[in-house]
Amino acid sequence: MNKQFRIAQRIGLMFRDDQDLPQDMEAWIGLQLQAPSPAMGIANTRAKVSEWPDELQPNLAKRAGMWRRNRALNDQAREGKNGQDTEAARKANIRENLMRSKDELKFVHRNVYGADQVKLRLTAFWANHFTIGNTFDTSNIIGHAIDEGILAKLNGSFSDMLYGMTSHPGMLTYLDNIHSAGERSEHAKHCRRRKDCQSGLNDNLGREVLELHTVSVAAGYSEDDIRGAAQVLAGWGTDFTEELSNMRKNTGGSNHWNAYKKRWAEPGTKKVMGQTIPAGRGGLRKLTDFLANHDHTINHLSTKLCQHFVSDNPSKDQIESVKLAWHQSNGDLPTIHAQVFKLAIAAPEAKFLWPMTWLFQVIRLSGATYFKGWEDFDNYNDKLMSSKSVLEELGQSFWSSRQPNGYSNDKAEWMSAEMFERRIRFADAIYRNGNTRLPVNKIMDRIGVAEQTRVLVTSVGASPRDQFITLMCSPELMGLEYV
Amino acid sequence: MSKLTVGRRSILKAGAASLFLAGMPTSGFAKGKPPGSISVIILEGGMDGLATIPPIGDPDLMRMRKSISPEGYLPLNDFFGLHPSLKFYAQLMARGHASAVHATAFPYTKRSHFEGQNIIQGGGLSPFSEKTGWLGRALDLAGAAGRSLSLEMPLILRGHHENDNFYPASIRGSGRPSADLVEMIAMGHQMDAAQIFTKVANKSEENVQVPRDPASLAKYAGQAMAQVDGPVVSVIRVENFDTHANQVEKGDTDSGRLARQLVVVDDVIAGYRRGLGKAWDDAIILTLTEFGRTVAVNGTLGTEHGYASVGLLAGGTLSGSGIVTDWPGLSKKDQFEKRDLMATIDYRSVCAACLEKSLGLDHDLIASQVFHQPDLPRVFEHLFA
Repeated sequence: MNKQFRIAQRIGLMFRDDQDLPQDMEAWIGLQLQAPSPAMGIANTRAKVSEWPDELQPNLAKRAGMWRRNRALNDQAREGKNGQDTEAARKANIRENLMRSKDELKFVHRNVYGADQVKLRLTAFWANHFTIGNTFDTSNIIGHAIDEGILAKLNGSFSDMLYGMTSHPGMLTYLDNIHSAGERSEHAKHCRRRKDCQSGLNDNLGREVLELHTVSVAAGYSEDDIRGAAQVLAGWGTDFTEELSNMRKNTGGSNHWNAYKKRWAEPGTKKVMGQTIPAGRGGLRKLTDFLANHDHTINHLSTKLCQHFVSDNPSKDQIESVKLAWHQSNGDLPTIHAQVFKLAIAAPEAKFLWPMTWLFQVIRLSGATYFKGWEDFDNYNDKLMSSKSVLEELGQSFWSSRQPNGYSNDKAEWMSAEMFERRIRFADAIYRNGNTRLPVNKIMDRIGVAEQTRVLVTSVGASPRDQFITLMCSPELMGLEYV
Repeated sequence: MSKLTVGRRSILKAGAASLFLAGMPTSGFAKGKPPGSISVIILEGGMDGLATIPPIGDPDLMRMRKSISPEGYLPLNDFFGLHPSLKFYAQLMARGHASAVHATAFPYTKRSHFEGQNIIQGGGLSPFSEKTGWLGRALDLAGAAGRSLSLEMPLILRGHHENDNFYPASIRGSGRPSADLVEMIAMGHQMDAAQIFTKVANKSEENVQVPRDPASLAKYAGQAMAQVDGPVVSVIRVENFDTHANQVEKGDTDSGRLARQLVVVDDVIAGYRRGLGKAWDDAIILTLTEFGRTVAVNGTLGTEHGYASVGLLAGGTLSGSGIVTDWPGLSKKDQFEKRDLMATIDYRSVCAACLEKSLGLDHDLIASQVFHQPDLPRVFEHLFA
């Protein structure tokens, strides 16, 4: 593969046929990291690429309002009130108030059409690191967390991203923190006097912040440290159905992203891994800053970044160089990312691609559209599946229900007959119905495929469909080694 | 240090079938194949053994966990009850076709899902020490094939090249690839990927329509295992046992998150029973979970990560029903680190007994080659005598 495509395969999503190839790839990477990231997409499969309409990208307050309306209308449907129990009303409720399909389509559009391909790969990495599984209660805000908690924070520090994602209502809901109260909190004390009231600590988020998001089990923390972290977190977050006005009164926060229920907070200072954390709202920032700069966090995340972009088994030197960038820049993400990319470009071995990354690259390389436009996401099409179904079938969606460790960077997790069969089927589906613009030969010439790939593609005969499937499922385009 | 081997109390097998009608197990082995089959149900998230098989005879149970103990439990004997969601499983117990092992765990005490899941599938001595799984290694020794009902190939089955997976696809706008094309693609790949593409080619002509819920997959797996040349092992995963919050519904201890997931487990066992047909007589089904949960209830009607849990076993190969346990007690001093149910039976021994029974492998071979633990205690006669 020629240099532009080799680098784009590693750290980006490949160049569409209407995009000019950059001459200086190093400069291009730098520009990519700094460039703005509008959500690009198409209104329908014949339309020009343009920015997603504002009305389909509501802010958090609007999403909360939509969620409340959805729940209220569901109640009415159950009770048979206000004509809400008809099929049409149910559908309208979903269309107007639920964001999952729209957010997921926006995500795939960005990945198919966005010029900010390097940032989109980083977004996928970090959105996976800070996994928010779909528990239904999180479904209206997962997309918000990815856009505002990850993509918008790529040019800042890891500390900022960690604080933002730990306190994001999606994370606080997913890992049960919205129900957690300090055992000595006013709320718990009040609760203990009542018969029907249950209140106390829930350590789910505190545990995963330590294990998955920051220091990892290698740090050797204790159950007391986990409880300490959970006590710092107690009080953070609130049920998304809570009205903003009530919330302001009860929490002192101005929106759902900084909702902190003082009455649920554990009084007094806490200890986490030897660090003293003060009481009150400011405690969380103190905790996340401490964890963000911890040596074990830096080691854990430098290794994980290398495993994702550089090599299945990164060398000690490679990891050390990322740690050095981390230390020298005080956790500045663009600096860290730049070092990771330097290693990725220099790495000699192939790097297996996640199913979703591969899918986006196939679509871009062939100049296809494949996914429906935003005007059509509710309309059934017997050729084009919804983005939800496509990613579900591939076995990789940020809107799926899954465990907080997210998708694996280990190739072994993705090597199975069913997984490979899906690649063949989707290559076929894109060829048949994706509006591809480039024939196989053009694609091979443009990216400068390896001789083995050319031989493999011609070995399957003259059928353009078979050739297309073979090219896209070749070792070179899947990120596997040749014999 | 936790007690991982059979301890001072001898394992007691408390008969359960007496409360139900006794049944008549039949037997008969297929020829040219291992003597039986194993189906593993992986319960992801850490199942609360104390709510699944509550030790109602332990005075500390209601003291510690009244708010989450199922009121409508089915009594098994004076000491143990069964969660009301496990209705089919209860019928199997009545017929002598189901047992449970209680206060049991893999030797892992750190309470991380992901380390724990790696241990129970890899069967290694420490987390992430194995690239293959204990079932995969056992199948490699037995020269028999297993199948996972999942999109990915789970760690537990890795280690034997004949193993494959099945998960029904639902893709519009594309056809099934021809075997010739896929074989050609396979030839362009290096060995591990080529092997996988060859498996795709081998099944590319099949057109199987199976719903994706775990119970339907279990029935399908059972049917496949009942075939003469079918797999002898299958693996199914059931998610969402991580019941930190609302493990039970407020005011109704028989429903809630755990109750719903246990219904799925019960349906999976029933699905296997239906799918296996006559092959049930040689079958063993067992559950695996990464850990149990705290004895105490947390602040959100749930439980936190703990240590020992319960393993559910079913199948025609079991010799009568019962709860196999060396009960450690629930008082503070009996708990592991003053918070969790102590493990008194190493669950690897239970897995080893199932391998011995179904694959016809020698215990010492399993202990050393599969679990890398030559002195692993043998508990075979407590389950299959």
